[in-house]
Amino acid sequence: MHHELTVWSRGIIMDKEARDVSTCIATAARKLGYHAENVSDYVDDPDRTNCLVRRYARFADTPILDRFVYENPHPDWVVLVEETIIKAVNFFRGTEDGSGVLVVNSARDPGYLLKFLPDAMTKKLNKLVVVDAVGLAEQRGGSPWMFVRDLSELAFDRMSTEGAVERLAIGMGIAAPLIGALVAATGELPIDEVASVVADRDAMLRGAEQHKVIQYASA
Amino acid sequence: MSVRGTHIPEHLRLPIAGVTPPPTEKEGQRLFPTGNFRFFRPVYRDKTPPCNHACPTGEQIQKYLDFVKHDRYLDGYLTILEDNPMPSVTGRVCYHPCETACNRAAHDEPIGIRSVERFLGDFGLNLEENPIKKDLPPLNGKTVAIVGSGPGGLACAYHLRRKGYASVIFEALDSAGGMLRAGIPAWHLPEEVLDKEIAKLTGLGGIEIRCGVRVGSDPGGITLDHLRTGYDAVFLALGQDVGRRLDVEGGRSRGVLGALEFLRETGLGRPVKVGRNVLVIGGGNTASDAARSAVRLGGGEATIVSLESEDELLIVPEDLEQAREEGVRFRPQHSLVRVIADGEGNVTGAVLCQARLAKDENGNVRPQISEGTEFEVPCDTILIAIGQVQVLDWLPESFTERGLVKADEYGRVPDDSEAVFAGGDVMRGPSMVVDALGDGKRAARDIDRVLSAQPLEPDGPVEVMPYERLNTAYFRHAPRTPVPLTPAGTRSKSQKVEVTLAYSREEAVAEADRCMSCGVCNGCDNCYIVCPDISVMRDARENGRYSIRTHYCKGCLVCVQECPTGCLEKVPELDFDEPDAVVRMETAFAPYDGAHAEQAPFTRQLIEDAIAEYDRSKTVQPNGRGVTP
Ligand SMILES: Cc1cc2nc3c(=O)[nH]c(=O)nc-3n(C[C@H](O)[C@H](O)[C@H](O)COP(=O)(O)OP(=O)(O)OC[C@H]3O[C@@H](n4cnc5c(N)ncnc54)[C@H](O)[C@@H]3O)c2cc1C
Ligand code: SF4
Ligand code: SF4
Repeated sequence: MHHELTVWSRGIIMDKEARDVSTCIATAARKLGYHAENVSDYVDDPDRTNCLVRRYARFADTPILDRFVYENPHPDWVVLVEETIIKAVNFFRGTEDGSGVLVVNSARDPGYLLKFLPDAMTKKLNKLVVVDAVGLAEQRGGSPWMFVRDLSELAFDRMSTEGAVERLAIGMGIAAPLIGALVAATGELPIDEVASVVADRDAMLRGAEQHKVIQYASA
Repeated sequence: MSVRGTHIPEHLRLPIAGVTPPPTEKEGQRLFPTGNFRFFRPVYRDKTPPCNHACPTGEQIQKYLDFVKHDRYLDGYLTILEDNPMPSVTGRVCYHPCETACNRAAHDEPIGIRSVERFLGDFGLNLEENPIKKDLPPLNGKTVAIVGSGPGGLACAYHLRRKGYASVIFEALDSAGGMLRAGIPAWHLPEEVLDKEIAKLTGLGGIEIRCGVRVGSDPGGITLDHLRTGYDAVFLALGQDVGRRLDVEGGRSRGVLGALEFLRETGLGRPVKVGRNVLVIGGGNTASDAARSAVRLGGGEATIVSLESEDELLIVPEDLEQAREEGVRFRPQHSLVRVIADGEGNVTGAVLCQARLAKDENGNVRPQISEGTEFEVPCDTILIAIGQVQVLDWLPESFTERGLVKADEYGRVPDDSEAVFAGGDVMRGPSMVVDALGDGKRAARDIDRVLSAQPLEPDGPVEVMPYERLNTAYFRHAPRTPVPLTPAGTRSKSQKVEVTLAYSREEAVAEADRCMSCGVCNGCDNCYIVCPDISVMRDARENGRYSIRTHYCKGCLVCVQECPTGCLEKVPELDFDEPDAVVRMETAFAPYDGAHAEQAPFTRQLIEDAIAEYDRSKTVQPNGRGVTP
């Protein structure tokens, strides 16, 4: 068993959320005794607002041998922290046909989202999971696109993006329901075990329960 | 990354992370579009400014103010003419609901819209030729009958003409204009200005005004049936020109006059006798106009006796203030009990009493008299201004309801022909010139639709721009340019001297410059300047010429934030589902497989070699001493 999780997000304003998804998955997997890696910072330009950024985790029941490769060559779990990424980039590069579990943070109808996928990408889908993480997360602040309370909090996140500091709580905000939907839809990791490493456990469980799935290939 | 002047050794020229194809190559060019950073797209979306929304003719006020601020008066004038045929009239007499709605009131003071409108109207009246004439369509052979030459009838004829229809206007009085001539005094609206505005309309060709023809009631004269059969459609804009009578003892004495009749005779230039001690009964604009005209014509005093308290008077604030300056007196919360006359039947005084304004459940005025408070005042003239009605007995009963002509939401009267429309005061009850103008415009549009077999449709919903959505930091505070007035001492002696005067050109431009262009792009160029990504494009500094380069715009929304007028909005990018609007990248920063992620065999070998070398160095020292790992 070997899974590669790539979380796609947007520089600065949703970077912390993406990091939290990969960190929680890798942490939970390691606690469960798997070999696991988490790459919370690498190569993309995380200090540019809105810029596409990626965070990677992978875990397996055998040692992970690829050395110095931080990006996942064959992601089978893909999380889009922001819905527009569905039309922005080929996030399924390297994904095997029929193997990709795609989790999208969106309040929209899954059918509408599918319009944006070219056939070559749809072919890679194992299942499409749509979760309204913004709606399910604890509501904070007035801004719909900054999932943080205020600018100083954002500034703090920015420092953590660059590795200087880190907020202690990991798995807050929209990260929590996204983790919940991912874990529930993939079924590989026990929900309770993962929940024990997620700061906003309730929001994670809400995400685990409330999401829409379109099933493609059988796993 | 500039590589100019840098020597890159051969072994470093590798397809590894960070070294990307140059922009001259096809794949390199695909690297630069940053449109996929964006998840909100800036969109130019003009809203309706509140002024425009409040003006019953829908004048595009923001647009013409913008023309005026750039000294483009003809363009401004033509903009008004799209909606309103007589800006010199409304620029003088309109009660300017636009200014009441103007967002600038929340900032400091509303824009002096009416005065700028007057400036443009007079600019247009002074042109040698009517600039719209050359662009009119030829007449299409259809003719519409219009009853009444007030603002409603005139506007309908004008807008019909712009669509190619001829019209014949039937007017009971000897000259055209309706209440513009027979109600509103010349010191508000000089006769010459009205004459010129009407001449401008008849000069378009295809509009005929037949004065001295009262439709319906003249024996052997023109009837509604004549109109229905002889014309393609009918528009009824009869107004309300019959003064309501007040039934009191002595009410028929010589010297008791209807205020409307008094104003009409004055307006039509006929001799009218008015005394030096005048009582005007009523609390609305007609009372105010009558009192002020009485002061001018009689040279004496006038007192407005009203059921309304001072605060309840239905006189527009500026008129009230001007009336006071001219010496008009007020006796609020009083009622006329009876008229006192001498042996020859001439008014010598009146008995008044304290009273309050009250209404019955139908909204009809029912004065509440305080018994035992009667007292006598001397006077020689009493003008009654307690409301107006219209004679409608010549119309089918199904056309009328509670003294008004009944119409549906399109102003269509219930008639089998489906081509009889109504508008103005006879449909609404006493209202404003600009309401009648708006009704005339709408009727012309709908008559055109009916006659060309198109369905009637209500206006679509509009989004009115609120003050809160402007970027008010951009608008410095500047007081409204005051409108010049003729001094009260001078104006109150003449029926002809205009009370309200015009803005100079400089004043009009300064006032137009205060407009915040609520919700409408006015080519300020701010988005163009602030965009950090050169993604705002335009070929000319003009509304409609700006666009967003969606391949590059990163959606930072600085432009939206900094748009002073609020015409720029953010729209979720995923709302746009056209496939080509964003370049889908293969990955974020690696244009081809293997640049990232997949380890190139060559790179993997380099790493393996480095590790092997490291391992060797740990196990075998140069001096031969081995280290156990
Ligand atoms: C004294 C006074 C002052 C006013 N001042 C202002 C002001 O300053 N600003 C403002 O906005 N509004 C003002 N108003 C209101 C405004 O004048 C009216 O709302 C407006 O004129 C209505 O226009 P209309 O076209 O409906 O009718 P009108 O202007 O009343 O015109 C109707 C015309 O139809 C004619 N007519 C009627 N019946 C027949 C028939 N059977 N056959 C042929 N012709 C007929 C009448 O003779 C009249 O000329 C004032 C009103 C009055 C009475
Ligand atoms: S007609 Fe009246 S409401 Fe319309 S713009 Fe002119 S002053 Fe304002
Ligand atoms: S500021 Fe200008 S656009 Fe805005 S409501 Fe006033 S006149 Fe209209």
